[in-house]
Amino acid sequence: MRTAQFSYLKALGVRLAAGIPVFIVVTFLATSLSSLVPGSAAQLILGDNASPEQIDALNARYGYDRPVLARYLDWLIKLMHGDLGKTLFSQQSVAELLFDRAVVTFEIAVLAMIVSLLIGVTLAMYSASRPGGIVDSCLHAVSSIMLSIPTFVIVVLLGYIFAIVLRWLPATGWVSFAQDPIGNLHYVALPVMCLSVHQSAYFYRVSRSEFAAILQEDYVMVARAKGLPMRYILTRHALRPALPQILTVIGLSMTYLLGGSFIVESYFAVPGIGWTVLNSVGTHDFPVMQAILSLTVVIFVVIFALVDLGYAWIDPRVKIS
Amino acid sequence: MTAAAPDAAIRARPKTARLRLPRGQFFEWFACLFLIVLLISTMLVDFIPGLVRPNFPYGDFSQPPEWSLNGLLGTDALGRSILSRVLHGGRTSLAIVAVATALSLSLGMILGMLAGFYRGALERVVDLYTNTMSALPPVLVLLALISVAGNSVPTMMLALGILDIGTYARIAKGGVIAQNDRDYVMAARAMGASDRRLLMREILPNLIPTLTAIVPPLMAGLMITEGSLSFLGYGIPSPAPSWGGMIASSTDLLDRFPILILGPILAIVLTVYCLNTVGDSLAKRINDRGREIAG
Amino acid sequence: MTTPTSIELVLDCNSLSAQFRTASGPIQVLHDISLTLKPCTALGIVGESGAGKSMLIKTIMGLGPAGMQVSGHISLAGTDLSSMNERRRRQFLGAKVGMVFQNPMTSLNPFVRIGRQIEEASRYYLKLGKADAKALAVDLLGSVGIPDATDCYDHFPHQFSGGMKQRIMIATALACQPELLIADEATTALDVTVQKGILDLLQILQSKRRMSMILVTHNLGIVAGRTDEILVLYGGHVVEHGPTDVVFANPRHRYTEALLGAMPRIDQPAHTTLRTIPGRPPDPANPAPGCPFAPRCPAAEGRCHSSMPPMTVSGDGAHRFACYVPVSTHPSDFRPMAPAVATGAEQ
Repeated sequence: MRTAQFSYLKALGVRLAAGIPVFIVVTFLATSLSSLVPGSAAQLILGDNASPEQIDALNARYGYDRPVLARYLDWLIKLMHGDLGKTLFSQQSVAELLFDRAVVTFEIAVLAMIVSLLIGVTLAMYSASRPGGIVDSCLHAVSSIMLSIPTFVIVVLLGYIFAIVLRWLPATGWVSFAQDPIGNLHYVALPVMCLSVHQSAYFYRVSRSEFAAILQEDYVMVARAKGLPMRYILTRHALRPALPQILTVIGLSMTYLLGGSFIVESYFAVPGIGWTVLNSVGTHDFPVMQAILSLTVVIFVVIFALVDLGYAWIDPRVKIS
Repeated sequence: MTAAAPDAAIRARPKTARLRLPRGQFFEWFACLFLIVLLISTMLVDFIPGLVRPNFPYGDFSQPPEWSLNGLLGTDALGRSILSRVLHGGRTSLAIVAVATALSLSLGMILGMLAGFYRGALERVVDLYTNTMSALPPVLVLLALISVAGNSVPTMMLALGILDIGTYARIAKGGVIAQNDRDYVMAARAMGASDRRLLMREILPNLIPTLTAIVPPLMAGLMITEGSLSFLGYGIPSPAPSWGGMIASSTDLLDRFPILILGPILAIVLTVYCLNTVGDSLAKRINDRGREIAG
Repeated sequence: MTTPTSIELVLDCNSLSAQFRTASGPIQVLHDISLTLKPCTALGIVGESGAGKSMLIKTIMGLGPAGMQVSGHISLAGTDLSSMNERRRRQFLGAKVGMVFQNPMTSLNPFVRIGRQIEEASRYYLKLGKADAKALAVDLLGSVGIPDATDCYDHFPHQFSGGMKQRIMIATALACQPELLIADEATTALDVTVQKGILDLLQILQSKRRMSMILVTHNLGIVAGRTDEILVLYGGHVVEHGPTDVVFANPRHRYTEALLGAMPRIDQPAHTTLRTIPGRPPDPANPAPGCPFAPRCPAAEGRCHSSMPPMTVSGDGAHRFACYVPVSTHPSDFRPMAPAVATGAEQ
């Protein structure tokens, strides 16, 4: 058993190492963002009325007049020490800021993922057990429609229904779980619901087609020949082979969840990563943008590595390389 | 033919095929029709007689839809015709997405074909690009670029164009690699065909069906990304109308005039749905054709 | 001639017919099949691909494709199956009948440990607890010849070879101590050397556990010496049925004769050209009138092509066949069967 765990760690290490080129490319590009500005970055930040002294001061502080490579290396060194710089205008530690905000986005993403998995996979199992039936056809159509509605439309519609018409949930605001668990649940409900619409449709589609294929397999016919009930066959014989594909979707949904967080957090005034990015775009707060881009890359590299390992864990035939 | 043949044939045909057929045809034609009507009406919007300009407050504020040309979808908070704004906004969005797609498709196809044909370092670079792009949410990439360049229509075209290069490249690359060992390629090579001729005459035509099938869904994705950015205020710059922007500005009035939001929402949802449907049916036709050929 | 009463029979099929509807009209795959199986007997069902062997088994077991219309009577150990819907039938048969299928590579779920796959039927039907079920599974693994049974209990299917996988399938089929074991082309996908091991195993298990067995195959060599009776199917009809040694020594139906003639024999001189049966199996969508074998039969007469031959039966009633021009030197040995039991194709 110990050797098995060790080989998993080694495989994880290999995959993380493979993500380093991507990390370097993205973080380098993030650093060079400010150099892409036509004209002077400092000018852009401070606005047209800035005096030359102010511009010089900013450049001295942040080095926007220095070559990109030098700045990048500086940034990397600081990163090793856990220092992501300070925000341009409030001089707050970027690292602290990100951590607080990331927790919020993380909570919403995880909850949305869990809810979507439960809804999508169980409905898919039900449809698969009665293929061609009314539920199957309806859910197919419903999921098509749900996948075609952009998140920002979903946000407006659900916000309208639940916050304005029904008044069950607050339209904006946030309280952390640590401070007030019940209140937190109130505030997290709408964001999670909005993100779950797409996610559940996606999980449903993928699981449904997986189950359809799996139920044609010989070993399912053997199980039916044994007279085992359909529910048992679905949960014990069909679910496991479907997991690799479901795992793939989990990995891919991270992109959606993070992208969706911009819209959801902006509309419902939730202080998460997406909201932070939006604020920093307008103010050209490059340190924050840079840090968030880097964080995003790290998250994705880690998640893809974990998903890859997940395949090996689920499928007994796959050997870890 | 084995005894298992009748039931194997029945088993092999997926049961989900049954529930597609009766309604599938109708939706496909509807989707095509809708897209064509949308394209024509947005491209020719300036020539529609009697339609007011999008920024012109021609009527009363926030009127519900009525049976007239300008008031078909109602008026917004400033008294402007929602129908006119929807059509004009649609023109802008479609133009942005079309240019971006043309950009991505051509660059991606070229890069992908070269990467699949020559392999080596070029392939690694293309892979790196694709992996990087798939690791980042599109909205984030666009916001980063907009923080540098500001939001404007050309910026959007360029920025959106960058997003899907990797996807097209990956598909093209895969298609090229799959064909490298095929007989007709080897035969052409043996006859002394140059690389360029091989790529253009033999390999490229076989890539076209697959590439064509993914264009609609990717365009749908770009429309959603553009709409999201406009919704957030960083897309098509106001006062130019955009679907996302219109939805965002009507949220203030939702409690009193919810119906006004219908226009842009219907526009974008229908467009995305129809693009996805067309993409699905194209993919299905290609798969069926491939299966016929394979036997 | 005495017919065993239904209670004593393990399996009793009477005038079983099956057809399913297609876009171009109904296709009949089984025509009026009657067979009986006594306890502790091994029956071989032989025929070409497409003759309906597997379809017959699937119809009996309730595994047929959806939309199949079945007429006739089937009863197992006295219980009438025809009145049950497919789900009830599978549930009833799950504990009474064990099936071994053709392809061991795909019959086991690669994601589930084999121990669980063996014991799951016993946990469901016999309500065995976890420990008892495991003991049963390990015991079964031992009886099918898998070494280190206790270790193998936790292994996954991909860790075994094809022959061992088939042994595991046999163990799975035996989990609920069935009265009947059906092996549907169980050895077709295996190497010849492995085939013998599996067939010997089946024979041993059958006699040790006092089960009845049905061996479905297209290979006559498999049923020789391993079965008590043999049923020959062609085009969805029963063409010959009788004790194995009798049928092998004195085949009556022309098709049986041709099949036996096509078998390579160890006592033939080297490089003897194998005799084949010219022509192709009948297309179930376009059945020819009359005897299904007539188009390929070297001895066919006029009436063979126009009407279905009735079942003729031998003196002691054990050997029957449906042929107008049977292989025989003593036609007086045979008389037509009583109409009540005849295959009624003579309309």
